Amino acid sequence: MPVISLFAWMLVIVFLAFVACMFEDLESDVGSQSNPNSQVQLAPEMGYIHRYYNKAISGEGLSYALACTIAGTIALLLLLQFEPTYGPKAAILAIPVGAAVGSISHMIRSSVCYPGREAAHKRFEQPIYLDVFYGHLVPIATHNFIAVICITAIAYIQSHLTVLSGVSGTSNPFPLPLLCLIWGITVGAIGSSTGDIHYGTEREFQDRPFGEGRRVIYHGQICRYGDCGIRTSKDVVAFCAKYGGPATGLTFGLIVLFENWRTVIGMMLGGLTGAAWNPGIAAASGVGLGIAVAIVLIVLNTWLVRWARKKYGPFVGE
Amino acid sequence: MTVTPAVEEEEKKGEKPKEKFKFSFDYFNESRLGIFALVVGAIIAVAAFFPSLPAFVKGIGVMAVILWGADSVRKTARYGLGTGVPSIGVLAVGFGLVGATTGMAIGSEIYHYFGSIGILGALAGVAFMAVIGYVSGVLANSERFIGMKIPGLERGMAELAMAGTLAIILECSIVAGSWYIGDILSPIKGYNIAPVAFIAVMFILAGFGMLQPYNSCLGADERRGRTLLMAIEIGGINCIILGAVATLSLGAVQGVPLLVMGAIVWVVFYRAYMKACMDESYATPGTGLIKTLGG
Repeated sequence: MPVISLFAWMLVIVFLAFVACMFEDLESDVGSQSNPNSQVQLAPEMGYIHRYYNKAISGEGLSYALACTIAGTIALLLLLQFEPTYGPKAAILAIPVGAAVGSISHMIRSSVCYPGREAAHKRFEQPIYLDVFYGHLVPIATHNFIAVICITAIAYIQSHLTVLSGVSGTSNPFPLPLLCLIWGITVGAIGSSTGDIHYGTEREFQDRPFGEGRRVIYHGQICRYGDCGIRTSKDVVAFCAKYGGPATGLTFGLIVLFENWRTVIGMMLGGLTGAAWNPGIAAASGVGLGIAVAIVLIVLNTWLVRWARKKYGPFVGE
Repeated sequence: MTVTPAVEEEEKKGEKPKEKFKFSFDYFNESRLGIFALVVGAIIAVAAFFPSLPAFVKGIGVMAVILWGADSVRKTARYGLGTGVPSIGVLAVGFGLVGATTGMAIGSEIYHYFGSIGILGALAGVAFMAVIGYVSGVLANSERFIGMKIPGLERGMAELAMAGTLAIILECSIVAGSWYIGDILSPIKGYNIAPVAFIAVMFILAGFGMLQPYNSCLGADERRGRTLLMAIEIGGINCIILGAVATLSLGAVQGVPLLVMGAIVWVVFYRAYMKACMDESYATPGTGLIKTLGG
């Protein structure tokens, strides 16, 4: 049965990764972090005063690495304190408390960004709207909490897999904060590369011709009006939750699924620990499966791009 | 319309530093701040070898060094790097990890064979990274190599490397009690984990202390005083987290004063920073419509 339990834990990790990346993308939309933020930053300089929240902690990858690492550190402290007494049950306390500390720290850090950046736009007459400032802090903290708790849980599962699955030698040797750092960078990077496209093109630049990059002459010309009234960053979230967020979560979930799936299958073919364990076969079959998955994905993507170009007209440059 | 607020702002600027905080950054220009932080950071880093040095003194050293690093990031990136600001901060702590490992290893080894003179060995890592940072700056700037031609990059890189090294050494000694490499690699008393397990949080905390202030304040009307206020505020947050870690690894006597000091610093400087932003912005209306310029 050990393979089934490994497989089950893998699926739990995939599900958590899906939820984490979806909420990561939505959280970055609350405050317009990462790539689309460069246009939000440019808008007042071009004369377009706006009511977006300018959350420039850093890129998404790093700021999530920070929140997740703090969460992992606090969780590890609590685990070290309570695990000897309560065993694995200590995680029930440690993971949520760690995630709460991480997301509060993230909220505090994002609260200094909006006043800082808009005060630096004084000469362009961009005011600091206090309702925008206060109104975005709680959505940032709550969305961030869901993402960070999922990442901390993934890191916990990885570092305690031997206890949880009963297969010896499967625990990750890295300590919990380091795993959180790596997962945080990854979740931020995927959220930035996949989710920002939907937010940027569909909400900030709605009148863009198919396939065209943003011309320099239009820089800073973001859509400042919503369906009704003036748009704030909060309004973007409800829109992106329908497509951009789940698509981002799916991307990250699939990456984690394929990556772990090939490892588990490879381990199975290699004899799965114990006496019959052959690391060479395990590694080789894992790499082979990975290449096969990559080829299938490349073919599918090429076909998708061809279909989209045919359906929505040629690129402007063609 | 534009003249009136500007005049008001001038007046506020004139009276503000005197009443809000005595520690004015006007005296600490870029060079003086660098020398001050280097001296304070180096003295505390050398003294941090001794476990009897209270953790909150090391925390003061970390905050001074992070302030210096944030100033160096500002100096290097002000020229026009937008998205490069976080990269420079992370580069600084990347340098820092290498330099700190070098310094701690050299210092511990000398201490092992020649006694207490070895505690100066940590400075060898700082000097080593200063050279490496300067060389990397030359490589990036020189036309013979990459040719980025960023003004002051060589000096900025050297300063960032030194600040990162001192920050990591101090943070290691906060968590482990001393930067003696044996203490860092051997398990914490009573727990099955070594202080080096917390290297990720040390890395990212020091990095954000340096990169976030300028990244969050960047813009046409960015002011150095505001940016540095935020650097100290983030130093306070770092001390809170490190205080929590030190409470576990060294006990409440070391950890709690650091945590309390971090909390006080954070509250004071967060308020000062927010006040400065609100006062110096164009306007702070409760809510309002946006001004429309031709659609």
